[in-house]
Amino acid sequence: MSGTGRYLFAVARDLRVAELTGTQGFHGTPIDVVERDGLSAVVCDVDLGEFGEEPLTRNLEDLTWVERVARTHNDVVWRVAAAATCAPLRLVTVCADDDSVRAKVDSLRTELENVLDRIEGRQEWSVKVLVPQGAAVEAEPAATPTSGTDYLRRKREAAERRRDLSDEAVRAAREVHDVGHAHAVASRQLAPQDPRLTGRTETMILNAAYLVEAGEHEVFTTALRAAAEQHPSVTVEVEGPWPAYSFAVLG
Amino acid sequence: MTERAVSPVRGVGAPDRPAYGPAPSNLADVLERVLDKGIVIAGDIQVNLLDIELLTVKIRLLVVSVDKAAELGIDWWRTDPMLSSEARDKELAAENEQLRARLRELDSAPSENGQ
Repeated sequence: MSGTGRYLFAVARDLRVAELTGTQGFHGTPIDVVERDGLSAVVCDVDLGEFGEEPLTRNLEDLTWVERVARTHNDVVWRVAAAATCAPLRLVTVCADDDSVRAKVDSLRTELENVLDRIEGRQEWSVKVLVPQGAAVEAEPAATPTSGTDYLRRKREAAERRRDLSDEAVRAAREVHDVGHAHAVASRQLAPQDPRLTGRTETMILNAAYLVEAGEHEVFTTALRAAAEQHPSVTVEVEGPWPAYSFAVLG
Repeated sequence: MTERAVSPVRGVGAPDRPAYGPAPSNLADVLERVLDKGIVIAGDIQVNLLDIELLTVKIRLLVVSVDKAAELGIDWWRTDPMLSSEARDKELAAENEQLRARLRELDSAPSENGQ
């Protein structure tokens, strides 16, 4: 397959176009802005030999390709979000040409405006709670069991310690989430992440996103730090502010 | 989702511009947002296949740690409607009931204006 398509990164409102100067899409291709009655679609040319139907089905199975495209997509979204109220699009949205881009914006105008209203002046924070792996095992006594009964007792006690640890971890996760939610306009819980992707050995038990008013970031992070200090047995990670990806959903 | 008035950013320089933190270096953070979140617009390129493939990638990447957490008995998030079809079913049932109640109200008071 050959030819060129238009890859959509984001739809923005009140875009300060000059701030996007020099922003590149894939393979160094400069981004373009397609205007439509106050909304701006941020796009770039892509080769349909790479982003066409058949190549895409193959490329999406290739994690290296997905990572490169995902990071470029994300970088552009970051730039746009700093220059506008920005609704990021999901990965690999490809249109035939600018007319098609405008037609999509037209057909979804109300929904897009609603999303932009929801996230205007707000950013997203990522909050994760992680439990150290093997924490219960380390707490076990090192001495060898003196009898079968002793062995079974130790096994039972180890199981109890693991359960206690889980209970405390769940309490911590709940409390952290409650605090985050109380200081946010909205919150969403995401699936815990795969350790193969994160490269971490801990077990993730909370992976949440919070939509926070621009003026309340410090209040939000301070409250979460305080909550984290109450639960030293778990690791609480707070990252942001990020563009409001998790809250830019239609419907 | 509740909506409140937007308060301005306090800070030096551009008051209406958010100062974003660095983009996540963690691939999982990037993927769960660009694959799973954001606006879904049906592009001109292979809509149906795309959905299937993205789902495959997503499941392959995310499922393992979910199961691991469940093994540990940590599954309270399963009741979150974003994650659990069971919770979603419950939510739908509750929503249906609310809608039915609302319909009954409207039927009994046909002249009432909605908000």
